[in-house]
Amino acid sequence: MASEMELVGTDVEAGPDQMIVTENVKKWFGNFQALKGITTTVKRGEVVVILGPSGSGKSTYIRTINRLERHDEGRIVVDGIELTDDIRNIERVRSETGMVFQSFNLFPHLTVMDNIALAPRNVRGWPKAKAEEKARALLERVGIPEQADKYPAQLSGGQQQRVAIARALAMEPKIMMFDEPTSALDPEMIKEVLDVMKELARSAMTLIVVTHEIGFAKEVGDRVLFFDEGMLIEEGTPDRFFSSPQEDRSKLFLSQIL
Amino acid sequence: MTDVPKLGTEIELALLEDERAVEIAPTKKPATPREWIRQNLFSSAFNGILTVLSALVITYFGFQLVKWIFVNAEWAVVKTNLRIYMVGRFPLEEVWRAWASVYLVAVLAGLSWGVSGLRLQWTPRKAAFRASLGAALLLVFLYLLEGLKIWTLTLGIPAAVIAGIALGRAGSRRLRGLVIVGWVLAFPMIIIFLRAFDGVPPRVWGGFMLNVLLAVAATLLSFPIGVLLALGRRSTLPVVSKFCVGFIELFRGVPLVTLIISGNFILPLMLPPGLELSLIVRMILVFTIFSSAYVAEIVRGGLQGVHFGQYEAARAVGLSTTRMMALIVLPQALRSTIPAMISHFISLFKDTSLLAALAITDALRAARRASAQLEFIGDQKEALLAAALLFWGVAFSMSRWSQRLERRLGVGER
Repeated sequence: MASEMELVGTDVEAGPDQMIVTENVKKWFGNFQALKGITTTVKRGEVVVILGPSGSGKSTYIRTINRLERHDEGRIVVDGIELTDDIRNIERVRSETGMVFQSFNLFPHLTVMDNIALAPRNVRGWPKAKAEEKARALLERVGIPEQADKYPAQLSGGQQQRVAIARALAMEPKIMMFDEPTSALDPEMIKEVLDVMKELARSAMTLIVVTHEIGFAKEVGDRVLFFDEGMLIEEGTPDRFFSSPQEDRSKLFLSQIL
Repeated sequence: MTDVPKLGTEIELALLEDERAVEIAPTKKPATPREWIRQNLFSSAFNGILTVLSALVITYFGFQLVKWIFVNAEWAVVKTNLRIYMVGRFPLEEVWRAWASVYLVAVLAGLSWGVSGLRLQWTPRKAAFRASLGAALLLVFLYLLEGLKIWTLTLGIPAAVIAGIALGRAGSRRLRGLVIVGWVLAFPMIIIFLRAFDGVPPRVWGGFMLNVLLAVAATLLSFPIGVLLALGRRSTLPVVSKFCVGFIELFRGVPLVTLIISGNFILPLMLPPGLELSLIVRMILVFTIFSSAYVAEIVRGGLQGVHFGQYEAARAVGLSTTRMMALIVLPQALRSTIPAMISHFISLFKDTSLLAALAITDALRAARRASAQLEFIGDQKEALLAAALLFWGVAFSMSRWSQRLERRLGVGER
């Protein structure tokens, strides 16, 4: 065990193409163990799709990567920065990872423009003009440049989620994480959000996406992780995972959703 | 990617508008007054009886009240003691200091109004209401005020407001910062007006002026302290949270009168020798402590209303805890507390009348002193009603202002 850890430790310094290294990550909520030792590595520019039934720990897992949840055991290294209790490391990792939530979590008291420009101005210390220029470019990119001066409540769900993506992108993160980004959307709005995500997946960005959208996984995913009961059951390319899953639990899951 | 979402957008907007249209679809309006009366007052036999009974009761008491106000009541007690009501034992030759303060506030209020660009809506109903309010005020003033000097000074107040509005509209955006600075400096400036250059020591400040000054000071001081207490209560450091909880529970749990009396008699004993706080300063301290405990609980309620997703989103974009609270959590929490907060400050303002428990001539004690004068014995009703009206006027304005503030900040909408 110890030698393995050292090996990965040296790997981190030696392999700059490794974006996220998680090693035997465990997490408890009271007596309930949500993560039972997750070990995997995400490469720079890789698009990883995490599948699994609800309560399988997939959301908890990506939330440990930017420390919205503290892991109780194991190691997490993001772009060479190890997540410890040191708040400076945590804030560095957070400013390098963008996160998009199922329920959007836009700031309701700020305009779309201010939602996006807030973090660059306050965390990166950009001047107002630069942050707003960036925000406008991002709104253009997610297809809603005309909504800059509205408040979140005035937008549809699909538009809100696209603003949330723009808000995360404004920090120029190296990693984007999506936690079931389309689950709270009406069916007719899912496509507009997925389109933005696909465009991101085709760029050089590292993506981790928790989703039930199989089509998205097949189309742009480099790798699929299948979680169940807090464990990483199976991983592989989408082709292989969807056509010939190896584990019984993966087969069962696929038979239920396909 | 660019075309499809835009198409979606239009459809969604249309849907949104549709829903709104359904919501505001008007119910059928009665055609004639006669129909209105039938629908609203006599829709059934029982409602008809209720209407008649209520009308009788209201008419009877209304008539008695009007008769008392215009025929029986002896308002001379108010007229003679007007100065005591307003400024207590403030020496006559120094009253100009109080006037200067009033004018400062009037000009600032006018400027704020002008800069904000708001305009009064003049529907016939509102115009009628405002005209009758103005007429009533004028009647009261015609009776109460005597002497050219007083009239000039009083009429100068609306003139100052109007001048402020005109100036504010002309200067608009350029004056905005100046107005904010003006309000920030207003309170210290008023204290300087009253005190500086051989002014009047706080010991003889009194009347309604004192109620207002004390309430304003306690409001301004207790708001930030209360917010800090509410945040401290949630601190992960046990020392901090225990202290805050203790502070809040202690001062929320005792009657204000006991605090006032302790502030008067016990506080001086606890102060280090050589440090003597005047009674007014001690009272500001007491009201601030009392009020911040309440503000803290109101803010706590507001904080609980902020969804945890807001904290997560703020952390996820890399905001530090301080920035997260200042930029994301508190603005939302405080906005939702406006109604409760203003309500508390109105109540605090009225509570300043508890100063009457001490030898301070606030507006309420002024009323009692006035009706204790030999020539006005038996006129307590009139004297007290006048004090009540003073408080009501300010409290009502605060309430209206808070409604305006809520509308402007869109509480419950966004």
